[in-house]
Amino acid sequence: MPPQIFRLVLLTLAIIVSYIIARYLLTPASFGQYGFYRAEALAEAATPEPVFAGRKACLECHEDIQEKLLKGEHKTIGCESCHGVGREHAQNPDVKLGKIGDSGCLRCHEDNGARPAWIKVIVVKDHYRGDKCAGCHVPHQPNEVP
Amino acid sequence: MKHSVSRRQMLATLGGLLAGLASLAAARTARGAVKKVLVTTKAPRGYDPHQHKWLMCFDVDKCIGCGLCVDACKTENHVPAGPMYFRTWIERYIIKKPEPGSGKTRGEVLVDSPNGGRDGFPPTTVPREEILKAFFVPKLCNLCEASPCTQVCPVGATFDAPDGAVLVDPNYCIGCGFCIQACPYGCRFLNPETRVAEKCTLCYHRITRGLKPACVEICPTEARIFGDLKHPVENDPIQAFIQKHRVHTLKPHLGTEPRVLYANLDKEVR
Amino acid sequence: MSAEATNAVNVVIETLPRFEGFVYPNESGPHPLWGFLIVIYPYITGLVAGAFIMASLVRVFRVKALEPVYRLSLLTALAFLLCAPLPLLFHLGHPERSYQIMITPHLTSPMAIFGFVYAWYLMAVLLLELWFDYRQDFVEWARITPGWRGIIYRAFTLGVTDTSERAVALDMKMSWIISIIGIPSAFLLHGYVGFIFGSIKANPWWGNVLMPIIFILSAMVSGIALCVFNYMVLSWVRRRELDMRCLDVMGMFLFYALVVDAAIEALDWIHRAYSAVEGFHVMEYMARERLFYTLSIGQLAVGTVVPLLLLGALQILRKRVPELFRKRIYFTSAVLILIGVFAMRWNVVMGGQYFSKSLRGVMSYKLEFAGVEGWFMGMILLALPFVILTVLIKLFLSEQLPTSGHVPHPPTAPLETGASAPRPAGA
Repeated sequence: MPPQIFRLVLLTLAIIVSYIIARYLLTPASFGQYGFYRAEALAEAATPEPVFAGRKACLECHEDIQEKLLKGEHKTIGCESCHGVGREHAQNPDVKLGKIGDSGCLRCHEDNGARPAWIKVIVVKDHYRGDKCAGCHVPHQPNEVP
Repeated sequence: MKHSVSRRQMLATLGGLLAGLASLAAARTARGAVKKVLVTTKAPRGYDPHQHKWLMCFDVDKCIGCGLCVDACKTENHVPAGPMYFRTWIERYIIKKPEPGSGKTRGEVLVDSPNGGRDGFPPTTVPREEILKAFFVPKLCNLCEASPCTQVCPVGATFDAPDGAVLVDPNYCIGCGFCIQACPYGCRFLNPETRVAEKCTLCYHRITRGLKPACVEICPTEARIFGDLKHPVENDPIQAFIQKHRVHTLKPHLGTEPRVLYANLDKEVR
Repeated sequence: MSAEATNAVNVVIETLPRFEGFVYPNESGPHPLWGFLIVIYPYITGLVAGAFIMASLVRVFRVKALEPVYRLSLLTALAFLLCAPLPLLFHLGHPERSYQIMITPHLTSPMAIFGFVYAWYLMAVLLLELWFDYRQDFVEWARITPGWRGIIYRAFTLGVTDTSERAVALDMKMSWIISIIGIPSAFLLHGYVGFIFGSIKANPWWGNVLMPIIFILSAMVSGIALCVFNYMVLSWVRRRELDMRCLDVMGMFLFYALVVDAAIEALDWIHRAYSAVEGFHVMEYMARERLFYTLSIGQLAVGTVVPLLLLGALQILRKRVPELFRKRIYFTSAVLILIGVFAMRWNVVMGGQYFSKSLRGVMSYKLEFAGVEGWFMGMILLALPFVILTVLIKLFLSEQLPTSGHVPHPPTAPLETGASAPRPAGA
């Protein structure tokens, strides 16, 4: 073999071998277990603690409210939709949940031009404004009058 | 090609390289071990991704545009604040009546999504009598069967998990942004803190614990329907939804085969 | 529900609308995802491919008139190729993880192929061709040059000192074979860059089968223009006479490449407009409003029409135009084309990010001076290849060193009497 070709073949082999070695050593351990990715990434994605506690956690203590809620129009609404993140309260009942103001009601019930026809909406300036919403409406039983 | 003067020197270089890589590998194994401990202590046990196929669907008629889902998503997943980072968002479509005598089926189409709908939607300036129809459309990752984002990832940092979620591996992503360009639905963004691509995970840490995704949990009208296609429960909402409605996907002509289905979608929604 | 809470990022919420119409919220950021650096990347890669094609005109297609610029073209290609990965690297969110592209290349991703195409082109094509062409010279230069330069030349011989007639003949044959492999490789190198954009079906501005072809053609145009530019500047710096025949032939190739390039790009636009592809109205609006200066002025007028007229006129009137005038026209056209092709890269990369994928709105961005994606960084990256090229020319096109008499043809090629004489060094 001519000397210049021999040198190049050697060099090429060295490059290819070091690539194979580098690839062997640097590929993450769990890569390719499920597919072309690190399988550990699945476990990592599942690791963080949930923030919202979920309806089930609320029902452990507040089944009575749930029963009332299911009778009315608000039956599809989750507790944390209005009351906010409840994880700390679920773990320790002494931690109180935040108060809900009128803005909580208006978020769904104020007319903004695109709400579907089935939801009851108000135009704030045309609506009776003598009191807070809860003065006339019962959030857990919207069909009833206090 | 330029280096290495003699064969002996070349061998020495190769030896050095090997030694370096060996020490690197040792460090890698050690790190892997640390991670494994973390995973086994904190992640939910006994979850087998092959036993599930998750799916989320939308009933456009039920969405009232309260934006609670957007807010819940940001809180649950610590999504960066700011109006350009969303894993899910709501769009408001207001389609005006056509000009009288114009012979058109519809007039101007106004679309907006202020802060992704996170703070709700302000009253529209369009007078009610000019509106032909109006509705809200929730958006999130379309969970494509032939996902263009995972196709273009150069390193395998984003992938279709066996349970149907499309995930990003934040510890492996190089932050090239190719997947963000490839997503036709604008569902991905580059996290300014971690400098990697980010997207909806279907709240992977919640669904693996038997909880619903935060947006589904919080949606007051059940406009978001979530379920497991492999294990339908009694009166499964997903099965009922697919049976009851004629469903449509976003941008079907792109051949991405989205699994996320919409009922009552309008042609103006892209 | 208060939700600001834990993740307090210092994001300044801008109230000024940066867009017209509707754009997806994730698209409404203040900076384009792919900025100035990604404009530079295809520009530099294109110059590499074009300069290499220019060199293969000599070796493969035996265009003898271009011999004076053979080595210069190859060194130009090398200098720019060495800089090609830098903009990509700097724009990554995690440059320290870039090695993963080589370790776990995802084969369905056009970007994953970059590492291999690049390595192949650098190691198996460009460096090899240069090495075989220079080997004989390295042995001689290592013998006669003292000091560190001698050591460099000696290292580049890789310890092979055989300069017998048989060995040199083999060198030339190898160089010729590599050059033949190199042409498709150069097309691959830049065609794949076009494919990175052309394969994104989500974006109607990019997703286009013609994209790789347009990239290859504009690469040839810009590469030849760069060689004209470098050759004229180098001769001017060294106060050497320009080889007018060489310049005329380069001008001719430049003209024809530009004609084909302009025709294909026009076809692209006509096809888009006539078939009224989805979103054409928003793309047209975007091109008119956001890309007016770079598209209509930069790419079309400065980069295409004016050089076409200038070079076209010279093709017709060549012998009747005085030499000085011809030189000026070639130089002007080369510079204009280099600007025009840069504008074309800008239009492709930025154009695809000036309109929303909802096809309902257009964005506007402001390019900053500082920062990784700013003007300043871009200018440095554009200047860097010229710095490297200067070093390469000092080392490998030195006027003080004698050049061997071999010609860059396979030994079977019929030798012209004029070509067998030792080439003047440095030109």
